[in-house]
Amino acid sequence: MSLLQVREVTRSFGGLIAVDRVSFDVHDGQIKAIIGPNGAGKSTLFNLLTCFDRPDSGSVLFEGRELFGERPDRVVRMGVARSFQNTQLFEEMTAHENVILGTHARSGSSFTPAALRLPSARKRDDLASQEADRLLRLVGLESWRGSLAADMPHGLRRLLEIARALATSPRLVLLDEPAAGLNTQETTALGEVLYRIRDHGATLVIVEHDMGLVMEVSDEIVVLDRGCKIAEGPPRLIQKDPAVIRAYLGEEDADEL
Amino acid sequence: MGAPELLQFALAGLKNGSIYALVALGFTIVYASTGVINFAQGEFVMLGGMLSVWAHSTLGLPLPLAALIGILGTAVIGVVFELLAIRPRKDGDPLALIIITVGGSLLLSNLARHVFGPSERSLPAFTAGPSLRFLGATLERQSLWIFGLTALAVVVLTVFYSRTRLGRAMRACSINRTAARLVGVDPKRLVTISFALAAALGGLAGVVTTPLTQTAFNVGSSFGIKGFAAAILGGLGNPIAAVIGGLVLGLLESMSIAFLSSTYKDAISLVVLLLVLFIRPQGLLGRGGREKV
Amino acid sequence: MSLLREHWRKLALLIVGAGVAVVPLFVTGTDARYVLKVLSFVGINALIVLGLALLFGYAGQVSMGHAAFFGLGAYASAWVTKSLGLPWLVGLAAAVLLTAAAGILLALPSLRLKGHYLAMATLAFGEIMRIAFVEAKGVTGGPDGLSGIPYASIGPLSFDTPQMNYWLVWGVLVLAIWLAANIVNGRPGRSMRALHGSELGTMASGINITGIKVRVFTLSAVFAGVAGALYASVVGFVSPSTFSLHLSVILVAMAVLGGTRSLAGPLLAAVVLTLIPYADAILPGLSREVMTVIQEWEADVYGLVIIIVILFMPGGIAGALRGVFVRGGEAK
Repeated sequence: MSLLQVREVTRSFGGLIAVDRVSFDVHDGQIKAIIGPNGAGKSTLFNLLTCFDRPDSGSVLFEGRELFGERPDRVVRMGVARSFQNTQLFEEMTAHENVILGTHARSGSSFTPAALRLPSARKRDDLASQEADRLLRLVGLESWRGSLAADMPHGLRRLLEIARALATSPRLVLLDEPAAGLNTQETTALGEVLYRIRDHGATLVIVEHDMGLVMEVSDEIVVLDRGCKIAEGPPRLIQKDPAVIRAYLGEEDADEL
Repeated sequence: MGAPELLQFALAGLKNGSIYALVALGFTIVYASTGVINFAQGEFVMLGGMLSVWAHSTLGLPLPLAALIGILGTAVIGVVFELLAIRPRKDGDPLALIIITVGGSLLLSNLARHVFGPSERSLPAFTAGPSLRFLGATLERQSLWIFGLTALAVVVLTVFYSRTRLGRAMRACSINRTAARLVGVDPKRLVTISFALAAALGGLAGVVTTPLTQTAFNVGSSFGIKGFAAAILGGLGNPIAAVIGGLVLGLLESMSIAFLSSTYKDAISLVVLLLVLFIRPQGLLGRGGREKV
Repeated sequence: MSLLREHWRKLALLIVGAGVAVVPLFVTGTDARYVLKVLSFVGINALIVLGLALLFGYAGQVSMGHAAFFGLGAYASAWVTKSLGLPWLVGLAAAVLLTAAAGILLALPSLRLKGHYLAMATLAFGEIMRIAFVEAKGVTGGPDGLSGIPYASIGPLSFDTPQMNYWLVWGVLVLAIWLAANIVNGRPGRSMRALHGSELGTMASGINITGIKVRVFTLSAVFAGVAGALYASVVGFVSPSTFSLHLSVILVAMAVLGGTRSLAGPLLAAVVLTLIPYADAILPGLSREVMTVIQEWEADVYGLVIIIVILFMPGGIAGALRGVFVRGGEAK
């Protein structure tokens, strides 16, 4: 059974249909990319999958359980983590603390142990701290441990947000344009991090503009155009798909293909 | 209970409801321009009453002039309050502004106590004479003034919102804060005007109700709560809904006196307020709208 | 360096704590009773403001009805100890349970919504309780209130002197400060600081924002309830006029003046603002005329303080102190 089943998902704003009956599956251990020209509905779909927005109709099953109607934070605790196109870090906290907050998803913020300073609270904090250090190493940010998020360069902030997402112990990680604003070198580093994440057992869905990265890392690609899915398949086939080429032709990104 | 008694209660309910409607309109107008509940709205009712009493009994001015002073004076105070206490907070953070209006409420009522004294004050009825008989029920002449002036205020406000450029800008602004700038009106000015309007409406409520209910420095908060309950009941953000909310609340109150006990009259509006907040926060007439996270 | 600062902090807290503890030994003479009673009021208000500081400064919400939780706690413990004749601790437990239940019932529906519905819901709740205190005559004694409420006692230990009352109130306050500080410095505090930084980021970290706010509000309601139980046994008399909207607003003023993301600031503000109308308790030389003027203008000043603090020193006392220390640190 697939990890994530997206079925007939539709969302419209006023009269405009942003996502139109989109269906696809994400299998365990895959890296799946969602691409499409500007305004294709990628970000809308992304927010629907993570329950930051509600669809008009359709369903999304994660491990066989319906996600639609759940609160975003509950979806995270169910095992679906996300990053943001515009990074949403805790600017006045250190990189280490940012990642620790991700661990709150699993171990909660319960008041009583904290208020009474029970040994269990202390033990949990130690574990969270170690886990955060491990994840900072995983994304290559160990030397930034004590820096404030606000002081970190753009490319690294994206990696920090990915580390925070991983700290929630997800089975599925959705990344919203992780390469946006990164230079070539940073993008290559990001690609490696994505592989490492998959090797650690998480499944990835990335919405991405950078074709090079998408073609390189993804196992399968879903192509959206004007809200509809127009193609789905492995990168080699997608590159040759006439519908995809037509969709991108009127676009400035056409030459990137 | 016979029909005349029922009518009697209904008239009393509509009379109070009209006052609540005026206060609720004030809440709605300020909410539309700032996104904030103005906890000082009730003090405008108190100020309207107090200023007109002062103009009439202390200065000895004729009643119509005193009433006008009550309304305009309150509007001026509303503007001054906005300029001194709301505008300087540039980020417009709703929590900050709410707390400021809480402080403003405390300050205005106590300043009024120092200026006008702690005792209850009253005005003579606008039109002297015995109560009118109407289908077996009696109606004070002042109630007609309350109905008439409330209706007039609603009409003037409707015309202002639909026919004037400023009014249209204010309506646009309530839908989208940046829209005001698009129609070429400074949003800061709209906030000031909304406070002037809200204060004038509160002042009007205070002026017309004082001959019947008297006034004192500390009546503001109870008018505020009733008006706020009415605004929430109708659905914040829509003037017509505020008026309907006010009338419905007034009727609910007087019917609770008729069928339950006068003990619970004040509790009714509070319970209504809580129920609406919890069950239907968009109000009776508010659009459903999805809750976006 | 931070370790050193930590040590200094602990030392400072120890000195303040010891100072607070020995006060009753030095307050003697004819006024002792009055002075200690005033200082007990200070502790009681500080306890309520501590909860409001968590709510306002950390969870970004405001309550307009904390006087009602205070009253609920006071009436609950008064009724249990006086009318039912049960031990004081049972009364305290009743106060805690009742205020916790009311807190959850209010917070759950209003905090689910975006915006500041809690402020309005608590305002309505406060007014409903005020009416209930007057009307539920069988329990509350109606407008005349309840008198002859027994002193607090725990087993053989009876808090029946002003000194003992003082120690009871301030002992409970210290315990509450410890709890609140642990929460602020622990996981819930970190979650709330995160919320302050980025709401979307907090949700993406799987943190249940509503849950945290509901718990903070409930805790603040319980603090007020405990303060009420203390008040009932210290004063021996409760009446509905105490638990007014006016008191709720003044409590908010204390929390606002104290500042956000701080416990020390609001506590200091509670101490200072509570003492103003009783200034003659700590400054015995004050003439009756001065006291009259103070009491006459007290409310105006509170209103003005709220506005000025929010407009011109949004960090409150805590922010101002932080400013001084940070600047001092940089100068070195």
